[in-house]
Amino acid sequence: MTLPSTYTPAPGHRFNVGDRVVIKRAFPPGHRRTPYYIRGKGGVIERICGAFPNPEELAYGFDGEPAKVLYRVRFQQTHVWPDYTGPARDVIEMEIFEHWLAPASGRAKAKRPTQSG
Amino acid sequence: MSTQPINKGPHDLGGAAAGPIDTTDHGMKFWEKQANALRSTLGLKKIVRVDELRRAAEDLGDQYYKLAYFERTTMALRTLLIEKGLITEAELTARMAEVRARFDVPAAAAAPARKSAGR
Repeated sequence: MTLPSTYTPAPGHRFNVGDRVVIKRAFPPGHRRTPYYIRGKGGVIERICGAFPNPEELAYGFDGEPAKVLYRVRFQQTHVWPDYTGPARDVIEMEIFEHWLAPASGRAKAKRPTQSG
Repeated sequence: MSTQPINKGPHDLGGAAAGPIDTTDHGMKFWEKQANALRSTLGLKKIVRVDELRRAAEDLGDQYYKLAYFERTTMALRTLLIEKGLITEAELTARMAEVRARFDVPAAAAAPARKSAGR
């Protein structure tokens, strides 16, 4: 059974599913929604979640417009945690806004995730 | 670059040692229910946003884990209501004194913050 998507449209998105990206290694003050440990790490776009008002602006009373495109990004656990002892195939996924992403060279070799993921 | 994390909020715990987790359900005290209802109502009325509340809580810094959950969220609400000019610090202080008197609370009663609460 297919449930209707709750995702919002994301016109003008910069990245596509399967693109390799690097999370910006930046440490600005303020209300930042990108976990510290993932900054500077490389991952693959798993899906485009939609466009949403920017929480980094909403936090200070602004309206969060223009909306920012949100992606779900997939990372290898062994890459994120150098001392990771679990299986090498383990991944962690998290949702990151476009302005935190930079393109990485090359396309993902890994199989594209299925829609039902 | 410094080994000290720059601008890392107290909420940003990924990768930190976890330690034991207290899973006891402590229920909600009367004031916690009232504070939570006020916070929910102000959210529904679009007077405060969850993003603003989180920001105000994260800005508590070292206080973040010294406060219990509802103390932290209530401190955040206090910050926002003063910031938005809906109440003043003086009004709040006066009202707190009035309520203390009404319930015969000693003026020197300890602040609600619990030093050992949380992690």
